[in-house]
Amino acid sequence: MANPRQVSEHEAQGEVERVLHEMRRTLRVTGLDVTVRTWAGFERFLVAMWEAMGPNTETRAFESAADEVRAQAVEAAESLGRLGAWEAAVLGESQRYHVRGTLELYHYLDPKMLVFTSAVKLALQDERVGVLQPLGSAERVERGAPGRMMAMEEVEERPGDARLRGLFEDIAETVGPPALPGEFRGLALWPGYLEAAWERLKPRMRTEEWARACDALLETSRRLARRLPYEVALSKERLEVLREDAELIQRVTVRSEWRLPVLVLGMATLVDDVRDLERRLPFPAEARLVPDFVVGEELR
Amino acid sequence: MNWRDYQARQRVVELGQRFVSYVDEGRGEPLVLLHGIPTWGFLWSGLLPALSLTHRVLIPDLLGYGFSDRREGFDRSIARQAEALDAWMDRLDVRDAAVVGHDIGGGIAQHLAIRFPRRVARLCLMNSVCFDAWPVELMVQLGHPGVVRRFSSRGLQRMLKLALKGKGFATAPPDGVVDGLLAPYATEVGKASLVRDAVSLNTNQTQELVPRLPHMAVPTRVLWGADDTLLPVKWGERLAWEIPGAKLVRVEHARHFLMWDQPHAVMTALYEFLGVEERPQMEGRESRDAELPSLRGPLS
Repeated sequence: MANPRQVSEHEAQGEVERVLHEMRRTLRVTGLDVTVRTWAGFERFLVAMWEAMGPNTETRAFESAADEVRAQAVEAAESLGRLGAWEAAVLGESQRYHVRGTLELYHYLDPKMLVFTSAVKLALQDERVGVLQPLGSAERVERGAPGRMMAMEEVEERPGDARLRGLFEDIAETVGPPALPGEFRGLALWPGYLEAAWERLKPRMRTEEWARACDALLETSRRLARRLPYEVALSKERLEVLREDAELIQRVTVRSEWRLPVLVLGMATLVDDVRDLERRLPFPAEARLVPDFVVGEELR
Repeated sequence: MNWRDYQARQRVVELGQRFVSYVDEGRGEPLVLLHGIPTWGFLWSGLLPALSLTHRVLIPDLLGYGFSDRREGFDRSIARQAEALDAWMDRLDVRDAAVVGHDIGGGIAQHLAIRFPRRVARLCLMNSVCFDAWPVELMVQLGHPGVVRRFSSRGLQRMLKLALKGKGFATAPPDGVVDGLLAPYATEVGKASLVRDAVSLNTNQTQELVPRLPHMAVPTRVLWGADDTLLPVKWGERLAWEIPGAKLVRVEHARHFLMWDQPHAVMTALYEFLGVEERPQMEGRESRDAELPSLRGPLS
């Protein structure tokens, strides 16, 4: 199967642009991952999916679910032992600062994307997602990326440098479709570090322990997704009503969900490698207070 | 020194929620070198090895430029940059310094000298923005928010490279210089940041300084590439006429990037400006940095 076309935030137009903006603000990040960019190739699905998932995404429950996934990944990474890439890479002080920022960003984003994707995947399989609380009743968290979160910067998916291109091909082949994950394109801004990290991460990804840890993360994510506060009104039938390619969207979503635990654990491993990075709560969220009349309208 | 080697030398300091990457090399009286747009600290990489033999050379990437903070959400105007530099010098325990500013770096240096006079022991303005001589046409075109969407990062790089090569240099610079000057702006984040930088260029912020130029009390040198078509030498003449005691040094056969066109002449003028009597011997510098032989002509 050819990989579906991706739509980045920079090239999005119209409704896709609106949804990607709202997703970025609600997820509290400086950029979106490859799963969302792939979904963005299906405009009607993206809009309907966000309508169904948006209310959950801005809740404390969603934020906490991602925190729980992250904590579990950190524990697994710690048990696998330190990677040694951080010390091996030859980097200047400013370069290390930027790499740390990139690691923090994806260490925050990936668990959120895993829970989010699990919820979408389950809903598309016609499983009940959400516990049917009335809209507006759950605590919300503030919108927008935290001030100290690094910008999501990445090199082109097909870089001019042959060595880097080879590295990308190896990563894409190892982690699987739908496309090269953003974290590796981001870390490629420091090719020496990416090489040192990938050289050590790849063999680890092929171990039994790694696979078990990823399975456990997936299980946790699905459990937490089912318990999100609001019902997710999304189904395979809805995709068909929208005249979208339901089968392709489902396949992409299944693959993304399957792959995300690998990325979550990979990022936790790289973060664990840097001794003094915040592992569990890199960007704690404040509550967002919503005026009573707004809540009243939503409850009506 | 290629741009990656230069980047590896950079350190980093946080100023509130922002961060500044900078080079800090050598010992002696502090010397701050300020770059312009669309460049970064790498602009000075050809002169750094020689200058750091006699001075503590401090080269910040301005906020929003190079590898300093390029996130959204802050003002990048030259007035704000001067305030950030004041805070940056505080953090580095640098009470005052000789300040050299090129292009908008010169505008920032004027702000620093007028609004924070205790910071500036000597002032050197190189092909500096001043009066209503700026922004130059290319930057006016770049300074529209729509450019972020209209141009791909690759397309913008191509355009800037052509512009720099066509108008910035009197003779072709060494290999890798133009690519290095633009390297931080090669990504989508870099492109967007550069557009934000261009949006913030504002003639009024040098015009407001005009009444205060005749009251400046800092030893000032105005150093100008005589063949600059972006900021013609008449502006240098006017600056030198307005600032008490300022002396204009024309650098012949040099355009906007005079430090690359005529490094020997620029070094000679800088040594004189800095009061360096015993100038380092070429042999010593050759053995220290392979880049130095590229200085065109012997240093006397």
